[in-house]
Amino acid sequence: MSQSLDAYLILSGLLFAIGTFGFLAKRNAIAMLMSIELMLNAVNLAIVAFGAFVPALAGQGAVIALFVMAVAAAEATVGLAIVIAIYRNRRTPLVDEYASMRE
Amino acid sequence: MPLFAEASGTGTTGTQLDQMMVLALLVLPLIGFALTALVGRRLGGKSWIVAVAVMVVTWIIAMALVYQTLIVGAFGEGGLHFELYRWIEAGDFRVDVDFGVDALTAVMLIVVTTVGMLVHVYSIGYMAHDPGRWRFFAYLNFFMFSMLLLVLADNFLLLFAAWELVGLSSYLLIGFWYRRRSAALAAKKAFIVNRVGDLGFALGIMAIWTTVGTLNYTEVFQLLPEALASGAIEPWMMIGICLLLFAGAVGKSAQFPLHVWLPDAMEGPTPVSALIHAATMVNAGVYLVARANPLFAQAPEALVVVAAVGIFTCLMAATIALTQTDIKRVLAYSTLSQLGYMFAALGTGAFIPAIFHLVTHGFFKGLLFLGSGSVIHAVHEEQDMDRMGGLRRKIRVTHITMLVGSLAIAGIPPLAGFWSKDELLAESFKFGFPWVWAIGVGVSLLTAFYMFRLMGKTFYGPSNVDPHVEPKIHESPPSMTGPLILLAIPSIFIGILLGFPPESGPIHTLLEPVFHGAEETLALPHEPYTVFGLDGILLGVSVAVAVIGMVAGWRLFGFFRLAPRTQTVRTLTDRLRMPYRVSKNKWYFDELNDLLFVRIGGLVARGLWWFDVHVIDGAVNGVAAATQSSGRGLRHIQTGRVQNYALGIAGGLLLMAIGYLVVAR
Repeated sequence: MSQSLDAYLILSGLLFAIGTFGFLAKRNAIAMLMSIELMLNAVNLAIVAFGAFVPALAGQGAVIALFVMAVAAAEATVGLAIVIAIYRNRRTPLVDEYASMRE
Repeated sequence: MPLFAEASGTGTTGTQLDQMMVLALLVLPLIGFALTALVGRRLGGKSWIVAVAVMVVTWIIAMALVYQTLIVGAFGEGGLHFELYRWIEAGDFRVDVDFGVDALTAVMLIVVTTVGMLVHVYSIGYMAHDPGRWRFFAYLNFFMFSMLLLVLADNFLLLFAAWELVGLSSYLLIGFWYRRRSAALAAKKAFIVNRVGDLGFALGIMAIWTTVGTLNYTEVFQLLPEALASGAIEPWMMIGICLLLFAGAVGKSAQFPLHVWLPDAMEGPTPVSALIHAATMVNAGVYLVARANPLFAQAPEALVVVAAVGIFTCLMAATIALTQTDIKRVLAYSTLSQLGYMFAALGTGAFIPAIFHLVTHGFFKGLLFLGSGSVIHAVHEEQDMDRMGGLRRKIRVTHITMLVGSLAIAGIPPLAGFWSKDELLAESFKFGFPWVWAIGVGVSLLTAFYMFRLMGKTFYGPSNVDPHVEPKIHESPPSMTGPLILLAIPSIFIGILLGFPPESGPIHTLLEPVFHGAEETLALPHEPYTVFGLDGILLGVSVAVAVIGMVAGWRLFGFFRLAPRTQTVRTLTDRLRMPYRVSKNKWYFDELNDLLFVRIGGLVARGLWWFDVHVIDGAVNGVAAATQSSGRGLRHIQTGRVQNYALGIAGGLLLMAIGYLVVAR
């Protein structure tokens, strides 16, 4: 375990950037959901790291991370349900085909 | 309530009975109007019965009130003043429905109710064959209500309301035969031209309220001069208020330059012309200036304007009357001219002679108009004097009564017009307005001439009547000749009754309290009347001039057995082609108004219309179009693709982060 907070934050930032890129660049809805998970977990990592290194936050970081995981699980469930519903309707997982919101 | 009674010092609220009489004068014609309007149509040929009965009762009550005021003197010099109820109360703005009866009101009541009643009776015969006569009588009663309200009102706002009501009844009665296009247009013209004057009047009333905070006559006439004396208002404000009030008078009394509506108003039935457009409503302007005499006395500059406008109208209208061939139009221009005399007199400070002339003119002009109605009736609705002539033997009563009226208006002693006109001219001379006197005397020559031209063309000389109509000419029924005779009597006697001895006759004694203050303010000279001095000379000149005009009229247009000299008339009109055409075309005033207001005004209006369409509407439409097109442009960023939106969110987040870093450092 590294003794530096920076290392954790850099890793967290990298993971977040990768997740963002995936969300923006992937056309497949499932892959976008996965990217969201990646971004959430990057944030979790940052929170846990703060909890470990900042004395004022000692012990609290883990609790917040648990909350985020719970919300992420719920979000993933709802998101997947929506994607499946749209897929049944449109017969495609590609989000750029879902342009009917425009009208 | 008794605020004004205290303020005037001499006013009284009268007994219950006095107040009831005043209210009855207003309520009775109103009831007559309502009943005739509601059930008049069912009464058929008897639809006049309610209206005429009501007017007779009103006349009796009015005479009782006049007796109380003038003969008994029950109300003292200040007159009867009482408040019926508070009409408007909004902050400082308080107006009551209050009524006042003083000598001036009483004199007006004599003219208004007497001529009013006789015209009602006359209309029974005149309108007998008109299917809409119930409507006519309803309007007539409504007019009487409005006119009585006008003279009885004791504050400017109530006066203004009555002012507009008489305007409305005038409009309704001019346009009585509304199917005739010319009548409908004339009604509209009268209404619109009057609006111009009324705008000034309304502004004047507002100016009075903002300066003294009240509209009650007694209070205004006390407070405004006080404010002027204490320096609270400038002299020019006083002059402004007077001129604005005078603008209203100019409109209602058809003085230059708002005189154009009155001749056209002759499109109405003749009784209406007699009542509204000769004897009563058109006098409202004179009444207004006379009523506001304490204000005008403080603004001598405004009085000069009044005199100038009056004497100019007097001259102009008389020259136009010389050449008109429509019998009613001659009389209409004559009315303008006589009203001009009254204003000229008011302007010189000769208030009492002006009111005196108003009274006598009310009677003899009412008589002349009703007589002309009888003539028109006799020759089957023909108004063109070129198609009359030789009617003397066929309609004797009409002839004699109209001859009386003509002699009266011409100023031949001892008939009514002589006393009032002579006094009016003599006083204006002595009050320092010789130019008013000079023009006035000139006009009295024209007056005598055009009246006897009218008489000659109508009653004397050979007949030019349509041969088909000729055998059917007959005298009018007694309901029409009766009023003619009853008006001829005061046309002969009222002058000598009220005006003898000159300049100190009963009319002076009666009206002195009303005008006393104004006469003192103006410091008018009061020299004793001298028959063998200045007054005798002035009198002699004006009578001589009137006789010259009259004899010239006889020579040219015939008189009893004296044959008309048609050839001489033709030579004269050829010789004087230019003045003749100007007169014949009424000094081109209608054309001037057409040019100024219809053409040039139309161009200005069209310019403003362009501005409205392109600039004002353009601005509004431009905003709408800009919104629409920018919306259309912004639609393109709404792709409906989730990832585009997400990119926006990510970009925004990034910007915020960068911003935070920049600011934090």
